[in-house]
Amino acid sequence: MLVLAGIVAGLWVATKRIDYTWRWNRVPQYFFYNNQDVKSATFAGTVAKLESKGNVTTVTVHNENGENSTYIIDTDTANLKADEYLLKGDSVGSISQWKAGPLMAGLWVTLYISAAASVIGLFIGVITGLCRVSQNLTLRQLSITYIEIIRGTPLLVQLFIFYFFLGTVLNIGRMPSGIFALGIFAGAYVAEIIRAGIQSISKGQMEAARSLGMNASQAMVYIILPQAFKRTLPPLAGQFISLIKDSSLVSVIAITDLTKSGREVITSTFAVFEIWFVVALLYLILTFSLSQVIAWVERRLAVSD
Amino acid sequence: MIKTVDLEKVFFGRGQEVRAVDGITSHIKSGEVVVVIGPSGSGKSTYLRCLNGLETLTGGHVHVDGVDLADRKTDMNKVRREVGMVFQQFNLFPHKTVLENLVLAQMKVRKRSRADAEIKGRALLVKVGIAEKEQEYPTRLSGGQQQRVAIARALAMDPKVMLFDEPTSALDPEMVGEVLEVMKQLAREGMTMVVVTHEMGFAREVADRVLFMDYGKLVEEGTPEHFFTNPQEERAKLFLGQVL
Repeated sequence: MLVLAGIVAGLWVATKRIDYTWRWNRVPQYFFYNNQDVKSATFAGTVAKLESKGNVTTVTVHNENGENSTYIIDTDTANLKADEYLLKGDSVGSISQWKAGPLMAGLWVTLYISAAASVIGLFIGVITGLCRVSQNLTLRQLSITYIEIIRGTPLLVQLFIFYFFLGTVLNIGRMPSGIFALGIFAGAYVAEIIRAGIQSISKGQMEAARSLGMNASQAMVYIILPQAFKRTLPPLAGQFISLIKDSSLVSVIAITDLTKSGREVITSTFAVFEIWFVVALLYLILTFSLSQVIAWVERRLAVSD
Repeated sequence: MIKTVDLEKVFFGRGQEVRAVDGITSHIKSGEVVVVIGPSGSGKSTYLRCLNGLETLTGGHVHVDGVDLADRKTDMNKVRREVGMVFQQFNLFPHKTVLENLVLAQMKVRKRSRADAEIKGRALLVKVGIAEKEQEYPTRLSGGQQQRVAIARALAMDPKVMLFDEPTSALDPEMVGEVLEVMKQLAREGMTMVVVTHEMGFAREVADRVLFMDYGKLVEEGTPEHFFTNPQEERAKLFLGQVL
């Protein structure tokens, strides 16, 4: 605690020296902001009806052709009278709404990409892990090749290949390329974790299942995988936490995730220090929630120990 | 019930070949209790594991109820559901409760409804004397209790023959009795059993026939009285001299 306080104090003194002005008050608007949406008449006509309900007013405009159009606006911005004539494009009033700012939008994109990539990664990982321990030589060799290629090349390079090469050749957008690149990357690591888990289950479990007349896949699904899954939860948790953090790399293929929104906010605020701290905190919230969820699952599964 | 003809199982490893089972011809009749004894490494367990196809045969034939296991077209899973097996290390499923251990294969293999499987499972737990533990997980049970659950699990499939692979070897001495008691009861009920064991007392009391193996070969076979009081082969005499 004392060490931590020391470090913080040191950093504070250091930032004082370089004359950095902290502007934390600029940060909240990038989470949520109040958006004023001005409604203008889409055609000329007279105000037929003004209905106020609380702070919201519904305005109905009517023209000689028998067309009607309605606008929902805030009551305090409505300074119209009934039968007032409006020209096309005249302001009817405006409505203010709370909207998610770029940081929230970025957080959502990061969450979406990570979740989608995790599902893909887990799926590929389980299939590849099973192939890795299969009796079939072809399946085994294929899975080893996949694992070696993916583990042996940088994720950043894989992202570029996925986006620029596969994205162009197969005509897929940046979002799917980003998600698939991350999912396939995670899949290679998950496969090795699953393989280790399967191999850590004693041979007797498989023999007992087979001696009861189960076929190989029944034994795998009902006996081996549930036990392997339980054993591999801690390393799997680590892998998926890594995946959340690695998802920040998709900003290089112009996906507006949390990292990229952070950079964009910085260009308009110059609040470099504050925004990066906030971005780090948001990643921490995501990863910490995930590790809590997995810890809870682990406790649930521990009843049979 | 089970016939083996020139059964052979050879393990290859590190340039050596080990003839674990070397040309065994035997016939286990329906309702018979056969005890297989012999020194460690004599191939008893391998012989037993060949009988339900847990080991692939190197040569020879195993006929279970007329079905040849050496035939590649044989559906092993179909054979195995008729042949129950109990292991030295129990091999209960640790992530399932005791009752679930008994119910799972009945539902997945025999396609019984959960209700039927549970009725059968509970009845068998009563039979082996641990009805009150049905909701426990296997790790909470003693070795003897676990082995009795394992026997009940095998019985739940209504097997025609039961194989026991040193069922009491991993147990504390005071728990051996409870497991042997369950096995004796099964024998009295007329179950066909093949038992690999070091429990000479059990062999003497329950066996209809004793097979003595050494170096993968069937050295001597006969009734317990004959085998234990008047063995013919030199190797069997030596072995009995050491264990009795």
